[in-house]
Amino acid sequence: MTRRALYDPGLQPERTALAWRRTALSLLVASLGAARLLPAQLGAGAVALGLAGAVWAVALHHLAGRRARRTTARLLRAGDLDHRHGGAHLLAGTALVTGLLGLGGLALVVHHGTG
Amino acid sequence: MEPGRRAPSGRGRFPASVYRHGTEPDPRFSLANERTFLAWIRTSLALLAAGVALEGLDLPLQPQLRLAASVVLVVLGLLAPVQAWRGWARDERALRRGEPLPSPALAAPLSAGTVVAGVLVLLGLLLR
Repeated sequence: MTRRALYDPGLQPERTALAWRRTALSLLVASLGAARLLPAQLGAGAVALGLAGAVWAVALHHLAGRRARRTTARLLRAGDLDHRHGGAHLLAGTALVTGLLGLGGLALVVHHGTG
Repeated sequence: MEPGRRAPSGRGRFPASVYRHGTEPDPRFSLANERTFLAWIRTSLALLAAGVALEGLDLPLQPQLRLAASVVLVVLGLLAPVQAWRGWARDERALRRGEPLPSPALAAPLSAGTVVAGVLVLLGLLLR
């Protein structure tokens, strides 16, 4: 793989980092919403859920930049993403946090609608 | 990527169920797959926000229909991160094996469910 074969080396990681940041901001809003709206259903669990989500979101916002820099470095050096840091931990954690917020939303809706 | 190039493959990368297969695809495809995952996550958050807002803001709709629409939206919002993760894993595996991409399994139920929620909201407005 030649350097010439690498399509817009700066822009792909950059666009992906922006997608991570948009998602992180949405997660932050959802987490703060959970902490604000869910105490009636979940008590202290709502604050824990909201706080965990918010911490994850802020961490993602920061880690998106680091991931993009590592991606760029790896692409320029080797032309692929096959390195230790190229795994899907951030994706798994993000899907998990989103699912937990969803369960909180379900608790709110069912409790409110039947209560 | 030159055809037939056997890149060193995926050792030590998470999840092994994806990275033990095939060889490194064009990095643009992997990054696009990652952005698709993130789009599903944002879709989930939007569905959850809509479902929670319907009930949480006590919008003036017929109560049973409003609750039904809310539950449909929130359940769709719960399915979306499942689609996000499973879809990402299946697509990445297919890319690594050079196979055609599978279609998103939950796309049809999600679009149908969104239509159902919309109809319920409309009925809830008409029948209040």
